[in-house]
Amino acid sequence: MALLEVKGITKVFAQKKNSAHIVLENMSFSVERGQYVSLLGPSGCGKTTLLTLMGGFIAPDAGEIILADQKVEDPGPDRGFVFQNYALFPWMTVKDNILYALRVKKVSSAEQNERLQELLDISQLHGSENKYPVQLSGGMQQRVAMVRALASRPEILLLDEPLGAVDFQMRELLQEELAALVEGAKTTVVMVTHDVGESVYLSDRVIVMSAHKGRIIQDVHIDLDRPRNRQSAGFKAYVSDLTELVRQAFREKTVAAEPPPDSNENKNQFSFVDAYNRMFSQYTNNVTNGRIAK
Amino acid sequence: MARNGDTVPNVKIAKLNLEEIGEKYRGTLYTLMVVILLMVIWYIIANRLQNTLLLPYFHETVKEFITAWVDYEIMSNLALTLKRVFTGFIYALIIGIPVGLLMGYSATAMQAISPILNSVRQVPIMAWVPLSIIWFGLGDGPTVFLITMSAVFPLVINTIAGVQGIDPNYYNAARSMGASWSDIIRTIVVPGALPSILTGCRLAMGAGWMSVICAEFIATSAGFGFLMVEAQVRLETAQLYALMFMSGLVGFFIDKGFITLEKRLTAWRFKDGFIGS
Repeated sequence: MALLEVKGITKVFAQKKNSAHIVLENMSFSVERGQYVSLLGPSGCGKTTLLTLMGGFIAPDAGEIILADQKVEDPGPDRGFVFQNYALFPWMTVKDNILYALRVKKVSSAEQNERLQELLDISQLHGSENKYPVQLSGGMQQRVAMVRALASRPEILLLDEPLGAVDFQMRELLQEELAALVEGAKTTVVMVTHDVGESVYLSDRVIVMSAHKGRIIQDVHIDLDRPRNRQSAGFKAYVSDLTELVRQAFREKTVAAEPPPDSNENKNQFSFVDAYNRMFSQYTNNVTNGRIAK
Repeated sequence: MARNGDTVPNVKIAKLNLEEIGEKYRGTLYTLMVVILLMVIWYIIANRLQNTLLLPYFHETVKEFITAWVDYEIMSNLALTLKRVFTGFIYALIIGIPVGLLMGYSATAMQAISPILNSVRQVPIMAWVPLSIIWFGLGDGPTVFLITMSAVFPLVINTIAGVQGIDPNYYNAARSMGASWSDIIRTIVVPGALPSILTGCRLAMGAGWMSVICAEFIATSAGFGFLMVEAQVRLETAQLYALMFMSGLVGFFIDKGFITLEKRLTAWRFKDGFIGS
């Protein structure tokens, strides 16, 4: 039995003028325990929506998500969620951020301390536990966000473009840190990304999604030894194959794209300046020398 | 903060240090220069004008100003006024913060309350004076009421803005870590809105301090505002000037106090921890 099962998920977002945008249609796949799965696709393909559904922050219009035999209905500590901007609470120290899940669960302080030491070990954040997020580098913030999500020992870790905000040189370094951290925590991961190299470097499986209704174009297993070598022929082959798939995913979007509904809206656009002038002109235009012309 | 020294390569270290010190006190120095200039202008105009009712001599006002700080009567009236301001301010906190939190957090509460709040707050604060006298008589009652009325709106509005400015992902993060509704209020909403609430406190205190003086003109026979009316009636313009400067100075230092408090309570916003003002 798979740890996470996505069964026939459909998600529709309402748009203006009664039209609706189908983000995901009848999507199904499953994730085994201990797997690192990446959702890869062009922006707008619904991969973040899918992750948000897994997190329980929004509800699907059809289908269900089962995690460890339980239907996902609300956010909960069985899923550790790492947000794109990390969403570290800026008013709490590193320690308070990491221990948040344990504190709301009212875990004893001895146990809290023990867990804190473990988490500081795997994230190498010793010495920074009393700093505030604003005082940390981007890489350190990422590690805090990771171990904060791991603190409650979740079944699965959901990562929403965890390195999306990091510049290119820093990115590869942080990918290595992330790989080591996940390996140390021995957890299952679903990660959203649009970076092909990142998905190959980190995952056991890459699911390529189309921009059109989130169709799964291909489910690719990455059979490379860890730690992975970005220069190896195998790695490069995976990257070029997946790049081609993403390109295909993007084309599906351009083919399927409907004409933009707002194209002639500009003509009738309400202008404040015009309205303002019109509002006064009926009174001001008749005024000559302080008197109203008949 | 960009210092002058940042752009200058290390040529003369001694000179660099001097520049840094100069930078630190430059603002104070400029303020001092403007103040002295204004004093000189006052001195000259007062001597030319020779009309102490309109513009008292500079040195006389200074004398009044200095003796006022050791005058028992003036200081006890000032204390009374400050007590009123703080009482009204505390009432405003008790009303304003919960209302603001509620309106910021719940869209329904916002829709229900905001039109009422926005129309009541358009009533000029002085328009409440007659009604407050009818309700509370003369004395502390109407003044405290007026302070509360003028302080509560900036507090509510800033609290709303503070709550609405919280990143929605903070709520999601807290919920995904198992936080209950009350956990979220306590650990996310209140600390997240705190910087804005403290700004609201500053504005509220300022509004309260301004309205108390006005209220004391009319609704009471004691307090700092009442002393001003007295000085005017007795044609002691020099004292009136001195009292006005005092009220400005007191308000200034209350505000300074709030800025310091704000920086202490929200040290997490600053990279190097606490910044002294």
